Amino acid sequence: MRALILAATAVLAVPGLALAADPAPVGAVNMIGPYSVLVAGFAMAFAAGLCALGQGRAVASAVDAMARQPGAAARIQTAMIIGLALIESLAIYVLVVAMILLFVQPIK
Amino acid sequence: MDVIEHPPIFHLPGIPDHVTYTWIAMALLSVLAFVASRNVQLVPRGMQNFFEVVLEQFQQMIDDVIGPEGRPYLPLIATLGLFILVTNLMSLVPGANGPTTSLNTTAACALVVFFAYHWIGVRKQGALTYLAHFTGPVPLALKPLMFVIEVISHLARPLSLTLRLFGNMFGGHVLIAIIFFLMGFNGLLGWALSGSAIGAVGGGLGTAVMVAFTVGFLYPLKILVSFLQAFIFVMLTMLYISGAIEEAEHGEHHGGEHQPAHH
Repeated sequence: MRALILAATAVLAVPGLALAADPAPVGAVNMIGPYSVLVAGFAMAFAAGLCALGQGRAVASAVDAMARQPGAAARIQTAMIIGLALIESLAIYVLVVAMILLFVQPIK
Repeated sequence: MDVIEHPPIFHLPGIPDHVTYTWIAMALLSVLAFVASRNVQLVPRGMQNFFEVVLEQFQQMIDDVIGPEGRPYLPLIATLGLFILVTNLMSLVPGANGPTTSLNTTAACALVVFFAYHWIGVRKQGALTYLAHFTGPVPLALKPLMFVIEVISHLARPLSLTLRLFGNMFGGHVLIAIIFFLMGFNGLLGWALSGSAIGAVGGGLGTAVMVAFTVGFLYPLKILVSFLQAFIFVMLTMLYISGAIEEAEHGEHHGGEHQPAHH
């Protein structure tokens, strides 16, 4: 646990050290640029993990239902595909925000 | 972004890439449709047969989701579906910037769907009845609140359609672009050809692994995602249309129950 806290502090300090290397003009807003890259990475990781959990539950329920009633398998499969795509689109929204932070860089 | 972008295969000066490739998709679909419908016969052969199968699948989906009164909307739904499918598959080719990898095309499709299903609902039921059915079966005191919530949710629909299609396609596009960047003369291939022994072994192995990974796993996944996203777009369109039409059926269900069932 202590190692985890130390590792997290080290990771969070890296953008600050990067800024200390070059003489940037004084202003609190300049710290946001490098941190936005970090945030983009973490946000995408969270979104992917939680999306995987949700999709796992959806597929598990669908497969259970198909095992119970093999006759309804086609309709259950259709509903499962639609549900998976809708859950995945939430992770895609996070991907879009991450790409905006990385490539459009609204705050430098 | 420019350093990992691939120069496009086909570029008209002064016209944005996604417009050019939209025109190419339009030309392709028009040619196919012309070939299919040129000599319509009772027993279909060739291209006409293929398109009859495709349209019958669309027809069956509409019957499942909207019901028989959704058949007039087959042209809209099939056009959207085929256009999005063709443009999604176009973005698989490395030099072609498929139209759906740009926010403009997907936003256009989503706006078409948005205005279409509201127009269908208003035309079927009249503006005031349609708006009154937004709120649902809640007591009168809560109706203004439900109306606001419904408006927000309806505004979120074209946004989600746009971002879902754009995000999937653009994410795959960026992934392939990064892999090409890693494998190019600045990356693994350059390392393999640089003349050092470690470079030859490491670069060669890395290139082989990357090629196998891309061709064997990523491209099938991208093809699956193309089909899936086109299917999801069309399915959501049909759900929205069925939601706009179905309010009119509250009265018909009551009327239908009193009749004895005969075929």
